Amino acid sequence: MNTIIILLVGLTFGFLLNKSGMTKYSKIVNVFRFTDMGVLQFMMTALVVAMSGLYGLKAVGLVTFPNVPATYIVGNLVGGLIFGVGMAVAGFCPGTCVAGAGEGKLDYLVPGVLGFLTGAAIYGLTYQTVFPAISSIANSGAAIIPELWNVNAFLFIILFTVLTLVLFYLIERGGWQRHKEV
Amino acid sequence: MNIINYFKKEEWSPYVAGAGLGIVGILAVFLADSLLGASGAYENIIGWVGQAVAPATFDNMYFNYVMPPGISNGVILLIGIFFGGMLGALSSGTFKIRTNDNPQWNKMMGKTTWKRWLLLFVGAIILEYGAGIAGGCTSGLAISGGMLLAPSAFIFITGMFISGIIIVRIIYKDNY
Repeated sequence: MNTIIILLVGLTFGFLLNKSGMTKYSKIVNVFRFTDMGVLQFMMTALVVAMSGLYGLKAVGLVTFPNVPATYIVGNLVGGLIFGVGMAVAGFCPGTCVAGAGEGKLDYLVPGVLGFLTGAAIYGLTYQTVFPAISSIANSGAAIIPELWNVNAFLFIILFTVLTLVLFYLIERGGWQRHKEV
Repeated sequence: MNIINYFKKEEWSPYVAGAGLGIVGILAVFLADSLLGASGAYENIIGWVGQAVAPATFDNMYFNYVMPPGISNGVILLIGIFFGGMLGALSSGTFKIRTNDNPQWNKMMGKTTWKRWLLLFVGAIILEYGAGIAGGCTSGLAISGGMLLAPSAFIFITGMFISGIIIVRIIYKDNY
């Protein structure tokens, strides 16, 4: 049963990655050029909807949270910096590569997937020398912002939503999206 | 525009697709007690292949305990993502077996397929390694962690944008 649900979740996720245009090289790279902010609009909308829904459901006792991704400042940041380099070069990420492969893109199915598997092997084989060291610096474990900063979760979510809407306004009307062809 | 026509459209508003993704993120937790993710699945798969092909090399802490090999939930999710992408492309009539399909890439990096394949292969290695260190990728950490209000997600997103902007500036030079 759980397997079928997860398969359906993946199916919908892949469908939305296709419809949002995230499976295109230009869509990913152009967010870094500020000429198409679709990646940011897509991610921020998803975050606002999901955090409101999940914290709402948690407040009325309908969900318990699964394992929260751990916070270890240096590792999260360095990992993000490395990740961004790959995104800028390839124009995909681990999920959009597979969704794009499903669309018939051989560039994603062959070198893309093989690259991720190779990267996974290299990471797994060097894990012991890299990860324990970097993840022990400034490690707060499975921290969440409301507990860490002692702030009401809904207050934070409202603030986050307002900032997101301001960002969308600046993108749509404030000239934060440039117009430049390559 | 009616809803069926909207489903057939090649590209949706990022707000509509994003709201959809938010709902999917909620449902994953609510129905299956799991998070979205992608990078971890590659670890499960390569651990599985590696332990079959080179058991001594892949017999380590990581592949035995941290990311156990085999068909994990993450792998099932990844299979779903593949067919979801296919369904999306079929719905808009854009499904096609192809290479070098992005005009911007062809203009900036050239139409040579082997060069694109080499760069995507190297890029994917970098992405997966970065995701490993960070503790997840765009879906497993940025979206899944962010929606639970984990600081790690926002630190990761910041890092990703800093280096992404720098590297694209370097690659695009005058065309940035």
